[in-house]
Amino acid sequence: MSRPGFVLQVDERTPPLLVHEGEGFRLEPLPLGTKVIYPPDSLPGLKRLDAAIRRALLNPVGIEPLPELLRPGMRLTIVFDDISLPLPPMQTPDVRQRIIEQVLELAAAAGVDDVELIAANSLHRRMTPAELKRTVGDRVFRAFFPDHLRNHDAEDRSNLTHLGKTGSGEDVEINRRAAESDLVVYVNITLTAMSGGPKSVSVGLASYRSLRHHHNVHTLRHSRSFNDPPHSAMHHSYDRMAGLIDENLKVFQIETTLNNDVFPSATRFLNKREWEWSIGDQASYLAIRRANGMLPPAARRRVWQSTAAPYGVTAVHAGVPAEVHPQTLASVHRQQLTEVDGQSDIAIFGLPYICPYNVNSIMNPVLVMSLGLGYFFNLYRGRPIVREGGVAIFYHPVPDEFHPVHHPSYIDFFEEILTETTDPLVLEAKYEEQFATDPWYVQLYRKSYAYHGVHPFYMWYWGAHALEHLGEVIFVGGNRKTTARMGFRSASTLADALEIASPVVGSSPSISYLHAPPLVLADVR
Amino acid sequence: MILALEYHRSPGRYIAARGLTATRTGRLLTGSITGNVSPIRLVHRDAPRLPGPDWTRVTPLLSGICGSDLALLTGRASPYLSPLTSMPFVPGHEVVGTTLDDLPAVPRGTRVVLDPVLSCRARSTPACRWCASGQENRCDHITTGALGAGLQTGFCGDTSGGWSWQLVAHADQLHPVPDELPNERAVLAEPLACAVHAVRRVEVPSGASVVIIGAGTVGLLTLLALRELTAAGPVYLMAKHAHQRTRARELDATALIDPVRGVRSLRRVTTARMHHPERGSEFLLGGVDMAFECTGSPSGLDTALRLVRAGGTVVASGMPGGGVDLTPLWYRELQLVGAYASHSQRADFDTALRLAGLPVLEGYVDTRYPLGRWREAFNHAANAGHLGTVKVAFDLTRR
Amino acid sequence: MSTSRSRVGLLAGASGRRPRRLGLRAELRLLRHGRDWRGRSTVPRSAERWVPDVTEPEFPTAWARTPLAVALRAGVTRRLLKAVVWSQTAPEVQGTAYLDELRGPAVFVANHSSHLDTPLILGSLPPLFANKVAVGAAADYFFDVRWRAVTTAFLFNAFPVERYRSRRLRSLAADLVDDGWSLLLYPEGTRSEDGWMNPFRLGAAHLCVAKGLPVVPIAITGSYAAMPRGRGWPQRGRPRVAIRYGRPLHPVGEEKARDFGQRIVEAVARLAAEEDLGWYGALRAAANGTLAVPGYRSAQPARPIESRPVSAAASAPAASAAVAPAAAVAVPADSDQMAHWRRVWAASRPMSDRSRRTTRTLRRPTPPE
Repeated sequence: MSRPGFVLQVDERTPPLLVHEGEGFRLEPLPLGTKVIYPPDSLPGLKRLDAAIRRALLNPVGIEPLPELLRPGMRLTIVFDDISLPLPPMQTPDVRQRIIEQVLELAAAAGVDDVELIAANSLHRRMTPAELKRTVGDRVFRAFFPDHLRNHDAEDRSNLTHLGKTGSGEDVEINRRAAESDLVVYVNITLTAMSGGPKSVSVGLASYRSLRHHHNVHTLRHSRSFNDPPHSAMHHSYDRMAGLIDENLKVFQIETTLNNDVFPSATRFLNKREWEWSIGDQASYLAIRRANGMLPPAARRRVWQSTAAPYGVTAVHAGVPAEVHPQTLASVHRQQLTEVDGQSDIAIFGLPYICPYNVNSIMNPVLVMSLGLGYFFNLYRGRPIVREGGVAIFYHPVPDEFHPVHHPSYIDFFEEILTETTDPLVLEAKYEEQFATDPWYVQLYRKSYAYHGVHPFYMWYWGAHALEHLGEVIFVGGNRKTTARMGFRSASTLADALEIASPVVGSSPSISYLHAPPLVLADVR
Repeated sequence: MILALEYHRSPGRYIAARGLTATRTGRLLTGSITGNVSPIRLVHRDAPRLPGPDWTRVTPLLSGICGSDLALLTGRASPYLSPLTSMPFVPGHEVVGTTLDDLPAVPRGTRVVLDPVLSCRARSTPACRWCASGQENRCDHITTGALGAGLQTGFCGDTSGGWSWQLVAHADQLHPVPDELPNERAVLAEPLACAVHAVRRVEVPSGASVVIIGAGTVGLLTLLALRELTAAGPVYLMAKHAHQRTRARELDATALIDPVRGVRSLRRVTTARMHHPERGSEFLLGGVDMAFECTGSPSGLDTALRLVRAGGTVVASGMPGGGVDLTPLWYRELQLVGAYASHSQRADFDTALRLAGLPVLEGYVDTRYPLGRWREAFNHAANAGHLGTVKVAFDLTRR
Repeated sequence: MSTSRSRVGLLAGASGRRPRRLGLRAELRLLRHGRDWRGRSTVPRSAERWVPDVTEPEFPTAWARTPLAVALRAGVTRRLLKAVVWSQTAPEVQGTAYLDELRGPAVFVANHSSHLDTPLILGSLPPLFANKVAVGAAADYFFDVRWRAVTTAFLFNAFPVERYRSRRLRSLAADLVDDGWSLLLYPEGTRSEDGWMNPFRLGAAHLCVAKGLPVVPIAITGSYAAMPRGRGWPQRGRPRVAIRYGRPLHPVGEEKARDFGQRIVEAVARLAAEEDLGWYGALRAAANGTLAVPGYRSAQPARPIESRPVSAAASAPAASAAVAPAAAVAVPADSDQMAHWRRVWAASRPMSDRSRRTTRTLRRPTPPE
C-alpha cells in the first residue's frame, strides 16, 4: 500500500533528516517545528510494460489507433524527448526504446519506408551517438543512424518551417521534416507536471524565433508556477502554439509517467523515511558518505553521473496531446502531489547533483541557480512554500567549474555578463540578442555539443519568479565567490544561514523543508 | 484467550535488570533493558475469572504506563512491595475501559475508569479500620481475601491488568466516565486522583510557597491540583526538559527551576542562607514551606529535604527508590509524609474526572501503542522526557 | 570561519573555501540521535498515522535445514542433547519397529505435556528419521525473540507454527513436506496444564489428508511428572518416561480431515493408555469404547468479548471452559468432573513404581489409585 505524501513536523523524536547537496548528501538536524514535505511512497511500476504500451497504441484518445494511421508511402517522423529527461537517466532499456520499437514494428508491418527519428532537443545540446544509442536502443540505432536518426538543429534555416503566428502574435517555427510529415509520433516522458502535452512539439522542435515568445522574463514571472499548467503563462503560450500546430500537423503523442524509484538499490535508504531506516540502511549511509568524501572530484563525478535510476513506469497514455495530457498529469500528481497547509518564512531545499542540462556533464553555478531558484522553487501548486519576501536556503557547494564543450556560452555569461548585472530584465534587454545570434555559439551548437548561446539566459529567467519573490537566497556550503557573483549569500552551516536570514525573517521563523529528490509537488493552501 | 503483557517471577532477570540499570550506560539504555531483560512477555493466556457476584469484566480501551510500572520493570522497585503482588500478573493500573457484565449501579457497556486499589470490599473481607473510614488506600487486608495478594489491579495475579485485552474489576472500583470526556483524558483520571490526594494529604496553608520536584506526569498533575484545589502561593517546578517547562507555564507555575542549578535557584526568593557541605549537595537554612517529591528518585527526595524550611513538609508522591540522608528531617524538624494512591473519603476520583476535562491537559497523552509494539512503548516511556512526551499509553483497541 | 578544523576537507576541488569534513564520531552521533541501541527510531508525532502495519516477517529457518546445519545437529548437538536428556530421565522406547514400513516423509504426532517431549522423541527416532524431521514450535513462544528463535531452530530444527489468529496465511509445513522433510507436530497446541490430553486440533489431519501422508502416533507418558509446566529441569532421580510409537495411519480414500483426526487422537489415546492397561488391554478398551478420548475444538480461540462468563462459583478451580475435560487414561467416564488436583495427582505419579510390563494378558483395568 503506497502511503500518500505528508508534512512532518520535526519534534524531539525526529532523527536528523537527509539533505542532498550536489554530489553528496548529509544528515541535518533541523530545528524543532520545521515542516518537512515528503512525497508519496513510490508507486509500483507497471508489471507488463510492453503490453501496456501496446494497449495504449491501439486505444489512443481522440485519434484512430496507430495501425490505422500508418500506410505505405507515408512520411513518418518519430520524435522523442532528449537526454534532459528523465533525471537521473533510466536504466536501460529506456522506456522510449520500448515505445519506439513497438511503433516501428507497426510501421514496418504497415509498409512505411520513409521514417525519420529526431531527438527533440530544441536549443539544448545535440545528443552524442552514444547517448542516442542508449535512448533508442541498439536495434533502432543500427537501423537508422546516422542518416535517419538525428538531433533537431534549431539554427538550420533551411530545415525550419514557419507555420504562422498565433492569435497573440507568437511565431511558430518548427523542424521542417516534422512539419512536412504525414504523421508525427512523439514519445514523451512526463517527469514533472511541466513537461509533455503542448510543450512537446511546440518547444522540442522549435527555433529561437519561436522560443523567445515564452522563454522570457515576463512570461516566467507570470508562471505561478510552471509546474501548474492552468496557472502558468508559459503553458498558456504553449497551448496557443500547439493549437496552431494541430491545424497543420497530425501528432500522435505517447506520454509516460514514472514512479519515484530514483535511487539504485544500493542507495535505497535515500528513498526511505529516515525514522524507518534499518541498521543496514544506516550502515549504507555511513559507508557511502565516507567513501564519497574520500573520492577525488573527477572520480566522484563519474560515479554520480553514471548512476541510472530503476524507474518503474506508472502509466502509458497515447492520443491527441490535448486530450492525453490531463490523464498524464493525473498520474504525475498521484505520484508527486502532497498537500501543504500554509507558507513559511524560510524554505530549505537540498539540491541534487543533476539537472536537465548537465547530464554527463558538469553543474556550473548558473545551472545551480536555475535548479534551485527555477525548478525546485517552482515545485508548487497554488502558492510557493515560502512567503513573499521570505528566505530560501539551498544546500550545494556551487563549484566554480564549467564544462568547456557543453557550456561555452555559460562561461562568458558568468565571467563577463553577471559581473555587470544580475537583474533578469536588464540581461534580457541588453545582452540576450547578442548571445542568441553570436555566430561562434551557433557554430558550436550546430557542429559541436554545446548548448545554444542563449541558453544561460533562459536558465537565469527560470529563476526570475523566485528572484522577485524572495528576500534573500543563502547557499549552505556554497563557494563564496560564485555565490557572491550571482548575488547570493553563502554560509557554512545551517545555523549560520539562519543567522544571516534573521534580519529578513526574524529570530524564530517558520521553516519548511522540501524533501526532494525524489520529486514532490507541494500543493500549498 | 486474551493477549496480555505478563510479568512473571524470574529472579535472574530481575537481578539482571536491576544490575544493568544501576550502571551509567544502563541508565541510558533503560528502554531496551525493559524490553529485553525484564521478566515480562507478551503471551496469550486465559481470560481472568470473575471472583464474585459484584465483579465485572472490563475491556480496556487505553491503559497508561506509569513511573511505578517502569520501576517495576527495571527492578528499581523496592523488595518491600514483593509480598504485595502475586505473580504472574499483568501490569497496568491506569485504565479506561468498557464493562462487559451488568452490575446494579453500572450497566454493561459503560465506559469507566478504574480505581485500582483492591480493598476490603473487593476482597470480600470484613472491612479493616481504614476501609471502614473510607481510606481504602491504607487497607490492611491487601494480601488476603478472595483474591491473591495485590495492592492494585495491575499487581494482582487474579484480576489481570490494564495491559491486556480483559481484566476484572469490582463494582466499587468503577467510576463511569462522562460522555464528553475523550479516552485520552479519561486515562489521566488515575494519576490525577493520586495528585489530588497528595495535595489533600496535608494542609496547604493559603499563600504557602511550594516546590514541586519533577515535571513528569506526577509533577505536572500535582501542579494542576495545587492550583485548582488549594490556595497555595508561589509554586516552583523543577523541570529538565523544554516541553515540560512549556506545560508548566501553561499550568500557571510561578517560576521554573533548572535542576542543574537546584537549590541555589530558590535561595534568593526565599531569602535563605545556602550552605555547602563537604560531601553531598547544598542545602538551605530557610526555604520553601512545602515540597512535593514527584520523581521517585533518591536525588529528588534529597533535594526536597534540603529545600524546605524548618518545620516544613515534604510530601513523597513518587514511589521512592534508594537511600537518602535523613539528617535534614531530624535537624530541621520536618514532616515527611507519604502520599499513595487515593481514597473515597474525599471523592478524589470524582474530582479527578472533573479536572481531566480541563483544556490545559490537551496533548498529555499523545502517543498510543498497540500491545504488539510493547518494546517500543517501554522505550518511549523510559525516555519520555527526552522525546517530548508526558504520558505513553497502550491502545488496546488496536489489535 | 573561525571554528578550528581537525581535518581539512576535500569535498570540492574548486577554489574558494573548503568545507570542513565531519569526523566519523560526529557522523555516528548524528545517526544515533533519536535512535535506540538497536538503531530503531521513535516515530515522530506527526508521522504516527503513517506507520505502516508491517506484520513481522516469519523468522527464517531455512538456514537450519542446510546440509551443514543438519550435519552439525546430527554429529554434535543431537548426541549432546540425547546424552543430557537420557542422563536425567530413564526413557523407555517402544514401537520404533513400526517405522520400518514407512516410505518417504511422515507426520509424527504426539501428546504434549512437557518441554522434554521434543528431545525425547528426537532422541528415540531412528537416525534415518531423526535427521530429516522438522519440529513445529509455537511462533509466539519460541520465535518471539531472536536468541530463542535461533536456538530453537538450530537445536531442534524447529519451524514456526502460528497458534492464534495470525495475518500470515500459510504455514511452512506444506512446503517442508514437499521438500521431503518429516514433521513432528503437537496437535494439542500447547503443553497440558495437568498432564492429561487436551483435544487435538485439526491442522495435522488436514495436511495429511491433503498430501496423502501417513501419521505416526506417539504417546509420551511420564514426561509431565518428570518436568511439568513451570519447571526448567527434570525432577531428580531419573524419572521413568515411556515413549510409545504406534502403527502409521494412512488416510483412506476420500476420508475427511475430521474423521482422520478422530482416528489419530484415538490412536494416541490408546498408546497412552497402554501404560496402565498394557497393550492388549488398551486395544480392548478402544474396541469397547471405554477409552474416553478428548473431543475436538476449532483452531480459533474464543475472542474475549464472545467468551461466556465463567460461573461465579469461585470455589471450583476446574479446567478452563474451552477445554472439555476428558480423560485419556482408561478410567470410568465420570472422571469428567474430577477435581484438578486429582488429575495432576494422577498424571504426576512417578512411573517407576508401576510395573514395567510391555504386554499384559487380558485383565480387568485397575483404577489408577
